[in-house]
Amino acid sequence: MRVITGVVILALWEGVVRGFAPDYVAKPSAIFMVIPSVVADPAFRKATADTLLAVAQGLIIAIVLGTMIGLAMGRSQVAERLLRHYVNGFYAVPMIVVLPLLSLWCGYSSLARLATIVFAAVFSIIVNVADGAKSVPREYIEVARSFRSGRLRLMIEVVLPAAMPYFLTGLRLAAGRAMIGAVVAEFFIAIIGGLGYFILYQSRSFHHNEAFVGVIALAASCVGFELFVNWCTRRFLPWYRRDEKVE
Amino acid sequence: MNRNILGRQGLFALSLAAGIGLWEIAGRNVGAAFMAPFSETLVRLWQLAVDGQLIVQFLDSAFLFLTGFVIAFCIGAPLGLLLARVRFLRLGLEPYIMVLYATPMVALIPFILSIMGFGFGPKVLVVVLFAVFPILYNTTEGARSIKPELIEVARSFRSGEWALWRDVMVPYTLPFIMTGVRQAIGRGLVGMIAAEFFLSSTGLGQLIMTASQNFDTAGVFANILIIWLLGVGLMRVGLMIEQHFARWRV
Repeated sequence: MRVITGVVILALWEGVVRGFAPDYVAKPSAIFMVIPSVVADPAFRKATADTLLAVAQGLIIAIVLGTMIGLAMGRSQVAERLLRHYVNGFYAVPMIVVLPLLSLWCGYSSLARLATIVFAAVFSIIVNVADGAKSVPREYIEVARSFRSGRLRLMIEVVLPAAMPYFLTGLRLAAGRAMIGAVVAEFFIAIIGGLGYFILYQSRSFHHNEAFVGVIALAASCVGFELFVNWCTRRFLPWYRRDEKVE
Repeated sequence: MNRNILGRQGLFALSLAAGIGLWEIAGRNVGAAFMAPFSETLVRLWQLAVDGQLIVQFLDSAFLFLTGFVIAFCIGAPLGLLLARVRFLRLGLEPYIMVLYATPMVALIPFILSIMGFGFGPKVLVVVLFAVFPILYNTTEGARSIKPELIEVARSFRSGEWALWRDVMVPYTLPFIMTGVRQAIGRGLVGMIAAEFFLSSTGLGQLIMTASQNFDTAGVFANILIIWLLGVGLMRVGLMIEQHFARWRV
């Protein structure tokens, strides 16, 4: 079934482009033909590696920062009230508006890209970890307290694992946003290269087929990460099922 | 109770004041090209508002956003219901929709630019692409969770397909659609700014770009503040809509 619709979609795309669009527009058959040469192209490989590495770095920073702030907000009323408005506000704002500002602060360098990724990713982690830390059942904490567990141990051994499913939800959102942040930053600050610039450059010089391979690479990394997180959930948090929450 | 509210408001006011204070101090001590203090930002905002630019560009952006959003809604909600109702469509299309949902749509902007050019149409398309998938996804998920008994009861009262949609599917799915609407508002806003940055620049996006190219840092901050307020405001509206319709969600 899936295969059939896939074929139908591709055939439709191919037909429409052949019939109505100019020659340079990407069509499946041509994309398929250029995949080997693009993948073999060192420039493409470097661009992909650059972008993915930047996203990974940014995500790690965002995870560390976001978890700490999120735990603080979830467990302390004062921190929550001091920070909640800022976090919600920054979470709601379209992250790309800060791009001109970040490029001003960090220069037209890969640092600006990293900053954009962190900015894009960190707030969804904070929001979700805070929600998770807040929803830890009171009994867990009381038991830990009555065994004279200290604040830090309570955080690391009780609150953090209990907030894990929320954290993973946040991480999944954060990864998508980080990827968008990276691509937008590379459009904006073309000099740093990366997959976003590769797509921009190829499509400007009317190599749409080559550019589309870049899009496929992006989509594949996003979907891959999603599957990886799902696998982690099943492997390490077998007690947590997502469908329970939906019901 | 009274003291509690006082404490809550007090802390909020304190954090707001601390934020503005930090902004002001940082703005005064870092070079003028890097940051503008809060007071200067407000002055610049006032200037922009008075000389009419802000209103014009704001309306321009709002028009773009609304057009794109309405189109996204008109595609996403009916298609979502249809996917839930027609099994073979869902089985066939769902994986592809998931992939598209996960793909960063910004990556398609260069294609849209070189195929469709600089007009209003391509920008609307960008907003639609950003906003449509959350609506589509949530609608399908919602409509699929309709209890089969509801549909069976409707059927046994000889309700036709149209009546089934009108009286069972749409009312049941509405809260889910509204969750999608809330998410779509946020993404649509990103799409709007991205379109204004990377396609022909107009609206609030253009104001930011010009300000940053002229090293008018106060102008950049003023515009970010406006978009920030817009984002927070729209989020509120989205939440209110969602909660309004969530009342009969079970």
